[in-house]
Amino acid sequence: MTSQRRFSRLAQVLPLYGLITPTFVLLGIFSLLPFLWAFWTSFFDYEVGGESRFIGLANYAEYLRDPTFLPSFGNMAFLTLFHVGTVLIFPLLVARLIFGLSSERARYVYRLLFLVPIVVPGIAGTLIWRGLIYNDQGLVNETLRAFGFGGYARGWLSDPQAALAAVAFIGFPFAGGINVLIYYAGLTSIPESVQDAAQLDGATGLGKFFRVEAPLLMSQVKLLVILTVIGGVQSFEGMLALTRGGPGFRTILPGLWMYFNAFSFQRMGYACAIGVMLFILILGLTVINMKYVRSAEERMEARS
Amino acid sequence: MRRRRRIADLLTHAALIFILGLTLLPLVFVVNNSLRTNYELDHAFFGIPDALRAGNWNKMFQSYRDAWEVLRPYTLNTLFVAAVTALGVTTLASVTAYVFSRYRFPGHRALFLVILSFMMIPGVLTLVPSFLLVKQLGLLNSYWVLILPYIAGGQVFAIFLFKSFFDGLPGELFESARLDGAGHVRQYTNLVIPLSKQVLSVVLVTNILGTWNNFLWPLVTNSDAKYHTISSGLYLMTSSTVAVNYSNMFAAYVLSSIPMLILFLYATKPFMAGLTSGAFKA
Repeated sequence: MTSQRRFSRLAQVLPLYGLITPTFVLLGIFSLLPFLWAFWTSFFDYEVGGESRFIGLANYAEYLRDPTFLPSFGNMAFLTLFHVGTVLIFPLLVARLIFGLSSERARYVYRLLFLVPIVVPGIAGTLIWRGLIYNDQGLVNETLRAFGFGGYARGWLSDPQAALAAVAFIGFPFAGGINVLIYYAGLTSIPESVQDAAQLDGATGLGKFFRVEAPLLMSQVKLLVILTVIGGVQSFEGMLALTRGGPGFRTILPGLWMYFNAFSFQRMGYACAIGVMLFILILGLTVINMKYVRSAEERMEARS
Repeated sequence: MRRRRRIADLLTHAALIFILGLTLLPLVFVVNNSLRTNYELDHAFFGIPDALRAGNWNKMFQSYRDAWEVLRPYTLNTLFVAAVTALGVTTLASVTAYVFSRYRFPGHRALFLVILSFMMIPGVLTLVPSFLLVKQLGLLNSYWVLILPYIAGGQVFAIFLFKSFFDGLPGELFESARLDGAGHVRQYTNLVIPLSKQVLSVVLVTNILGTWNNFLWPLVTNSDAKYHTISSGLYLMTSSTVAVNYSNMFAAYVLSSIPMLILFLYATKPFMAGLTSGAFKA
């Protein structure tokens, strides 16, 4: 290659690097830097405005003995498993029902209507459940009273026995939003020939659903389960608006405890240590999830 | 056979309408109760607005006027931040994705994997250090503290979506455009972008929704109420020490949903088509 040719090649390639540079600069500053900083800070006893002192793994050791440690991971596991269950059942049921309709127009309208709740800001949805449904004079209690079951009325989010279950049921019947569309997209992508073959084999109704359609929806299931698990481990904003972890530690979550440590107690190092542990948990779960569901899919392919 | 088909359809409609009813029930109550005064709400949870019965429209929408008074600055902030973020994300992400999709250069594969690997960084890990960073950079209490991190974070998934779409475009298309004398830039602006309407609307809608829904980041980075968004504003409205005026709160929830409703009226068709055509096929 002559030097002139090398130069012209360089002149071709340089603008390309120029075009992708802003992406990398932004990612470097606002994603990579905080990522590394999280690990670094977790080794320090650091309060904003105060001095910072290197303490090795002491933050991690302290968190393992933290009174919120067991209850918060228990609550997180319960809520996450509950929502994995709901995301596997309700949106899929709705998507399958819509898919089975014979009118093209009706299918479109239902998909549109189930999408409507998405326009309500998430925090508004949460506050609606707190202020309208679980309120002392809210929908649940007033309905109970109207039917003569007033004895069961209670402060759903402040009752130690009921709070966690009440939080889990927020969003019932769990069918609004784009999950229905994701399943529906999976159903439409099942080849006509597969549906016809199933028909010829006499597969109908539930049998056809579980034997033919459900296995072909595995990539949608995988996606939604991963998203639900990751969301379950890290989201705590809803709980902040609903209960702030109370009563006592009945609805505390690891992320919420991290938030309080950082922004209420100013313990940045300790908060970062909690964040790092959640990151490791998410990483582990993602790997397990991908491996497990992938192998189930491969088994299916091997069988067919 | 056709009869059985009709009965099956009828049962399906019944089931769907039942589930849909449960899904939308809270929203129906919110709209209804937003039109009732706090006094009415205190006395009976169920009931249609007195003002509706009396035909007193002025009084019926009083709660909306009160709520709008509080929400107006938050709404304008959110519109501004969402628009700038969406513009930044779509521009950066589509250009970067296009470069990776159409051209080969040293480090091509490795650099793209680097971008994708950012999807593995969870927000819960970076919340606290991101706060420390923007504090260090002196960005607290500004629009930039929202816009810059939103663009940085939002572009990753958008690049992934754009690149999958661009990869699927047939090569002959570019060949013929090139023969017609279209340069690199023209091919991008006049050929690729018009073809990308669906994926563009998926990126735009998910991105604007993200800005609209994020309440934690504006909450922790803005001690000054001046820069709060709709979501953090709603949170502040309910957690203030003043007794909650439920009538006004419900009106605020309805108002905060209207901009997204308008967006969806415009974008639903390409958005649903984009989703259905497999933007989310993992």
